[in-house]
Amino acid sequence: MFGMLLEGFGAVFTDPLSIIMIFIGTTVGIVFGALPGLTTVAGLSMFLPITYAMSSGTGLSMLTAIYIGGMSGGLISAILLNIPGTPSSIATCFDGSPMAKNGQAGRALGLAVFASLIGTAISLLVMVVLSPTLANLTIKFGPWEYFSVTVFALTLISSLTGKSIVKGLLSALFGMMFATVGLSPIDSAKRFTFGSLQLTSGFNLLAVLVGLYAISEVLSTAGSEQQKAQVREYKMRGLGFTLKDIKGQGINFVRSSLIGLGIGILPGIGGSTSNIIAYSVAKTSSKHPEKFGTGIPDGIIASEASNNASIGGAMIPLLTLGIPGDGATAILLGGFMLHGMQPGPLLFQSNGATVYQIFASMILSMIVMALVMYLGMRVIVKILKVPANILLPLIVVLCAIGAYALNNRVFDMWGLILFGVIGLAMSKAGIPAPPFILGFILESAFETNLRRGLEYSNGNFLEVFTRPISATFLVLAIVSLAATLYKQYKPKKATSEE
Amino acid sequence: MNKANKKELGVGIFFAVLSIFYIAESRNVSTFTPFGNRGLDSQSIPAMIGWLSIALSAILIVSTILKDRKERKGSVEQQEQICDPDQVACIDPPKGAKLQGILQVVPLKLMLSLLFLFFYFLFYQRIGFILSSIFYLLSQSFLLTEKGKRKKWALFIILFSIGVSVLIYFIFTRYFTLFLPRGILG
Repeated sequence: MFGMLLEGFGAVFTDPLSIIMIFIGTTVGIVFGALPGLTTVAGLSMFLPITYAMSSGTGLSMLTAIYIGGMSGGLISAILLNIPGTPSSIATCFDGSPMAKNGQAGRALGLAVFASLIGTAISLLVMVVLSPTLANLTIKFGPWEYFSVTVFALTLISSLTGKSIVKGLLSALFGMMFATVGLSPIDSAKRFTFGSLQLTSGFNLLAVLVGLYAISEVLSTAGSEQQKAQVREYKMRGLGFTLKDIKGQGINFVRSSLIGLGIGILPGIGGSTSNIIAYSVAKTSSKHPEKFGTGIPDGIIASEASNNASIGGAMIPLLTLGIPGDGATAILLGGFMLHGMQPGPLLFQSNGATVYQIFASMILSMIVMALVMYLGMRVIVKILKVPANILLPLIVVLCAIGAYALNNRVFDMWGLILFGVIGLAMSKAGIPAPPFILGFILESAFETNLRRGLEYSNGNFLEVFTRPISATFLVLAIVSLAATLYKQYKPKKATSEE
Repeated sequence: MNKANKKELGVGIFFAVLSIFYIAESRNVSTFTPFGNRGLDSQSIPAMIGWLSIALSAILIVSTILKDRKERKGSVEQQEQICDPDQVACIDPPKGAKLQGILQVVPLKLMLSLLFLFFYFLFYQRIGFILSSIFYLLSQSFLLTEKGKRKKWALFIILFSIGVSVLIYFIFTRYFTLFLPRGILG
């Protein structure tokens, strides 16, 4: 494994273009993460077409670099503007902003970058060690195992995202409906094409992703009143903090990173949830919980270590099962497919060298992220002042190139508008988007494996319960649904009793 | 019914109607089972998705109605103590209130942004990437700029739109070997 990783480093360091793209990708990610209203997903959507002409290793290295940079960039606006650049940095505001308000913005930034570095390092280490082992395990999966994993992922994401489980499940089914447009798996029957030749190939995953995340984001920002926030002044010498600041924080670093890693593995809830949970855990297990929220290092470390640790976590199911952990990894899945690679158990066998090149580039991106943040903070802070009226239209133009370049047809661009409007309507109606995306992505695997499983077992569905792995995942799916229903019913009961 | 419940009911009805249409359309899908039907065919999964959606929409609609009834019951009890319906005067809504209401849900900037996007994609291939992008960047940037600051920004936006469109075209077609439509400039 480590020999392959060394070969991956060799591939990265012998290709100057790869190093340049990692640097550009990380910087772009940081800027997108730092700008409130823009997310890592928008950055990935925008830069995906640029990777078309690159080799798969270089292109995917750039995309993963944007992912790492984007997850970290949010801390800048959280500390200097008191506005989280991404949902992953919400908890960073709690202590980062008060610390900056007390005239210690440089210390807050320094600590947050260091915590991001440690969180990313721990999660990447686990990802490198665990992914090949899990891939070896999942290679033995048959149709029933795959079917039950997809059911588990869909029910889990529907229960964990949004406030209502019914709306979460409806969102997943809505996504599955769009995925059934085109030719059916196994027997290639035309479905819901309404006589259109264009619809026969179905909706392109990238058009759906970019429309749902990037275009709807631009439309939503266009429809809202822009608020300008004051960027706080800061001074940062060296790393910005002293050894005294991180003394006794070892457990906080490791615990928060593990929380981020664990949550990142679950589909649909990445850094946006892990930072709040890690912050709460750090507060409840602290000897001085009353100091949280006043600008102490503990809160900043918990939030930033956990959100960055979800990167490695989200990559594990993507690489081993082909199931994305969050919106950004859903775009990465599209990136893998565009470069002719199918994430899943066979990925390590069929494209092992490229996968280890990506691992190596992610480790390099992590170091570049810290260097860019420490050395280039002044420039990034200046970019925070770039107005939305210039930036948003440019994002649309680049996303349109991405959609058009897929098949050189305008049909995929109409998909951007369709899914952009759907994404906007869903957000206004309080319907979570992640289940929709996962439903769209997993429908094919769900249908193919269910049909194959039934054919192998002569139509006997109960066989799914006779296999330990598939039975376990189905039981987990039922438990996650039941637990969410109980959680949603419990507060109502409590209030009605009052 | 309050705003939140109306929204929930709207979501439920939308999904119910969509599911009915989806199930009806799934019956037109051709099936192919040369070795006998031992499992599912190409109609089965869409039908399963459709029926599950109907069931969930029904749950959403019924639970919203029940929730609304419960809330209304509580508010009527409260209202009975503080309000005399005979003394409530009917006041006509102010002029333009309806339009204001629509604009609150779908802001003008959002509608115009969608329109610009529609025309951008419509003319993308016909007049080419460079021209369509210049027009799109110009119109969208002006739309997003505050009214009072448009004059100040005008020159920058014009130069930016032209410069960026030409630059992107050359970078993508020359260095990233992507095909972008030339349109009338070709």
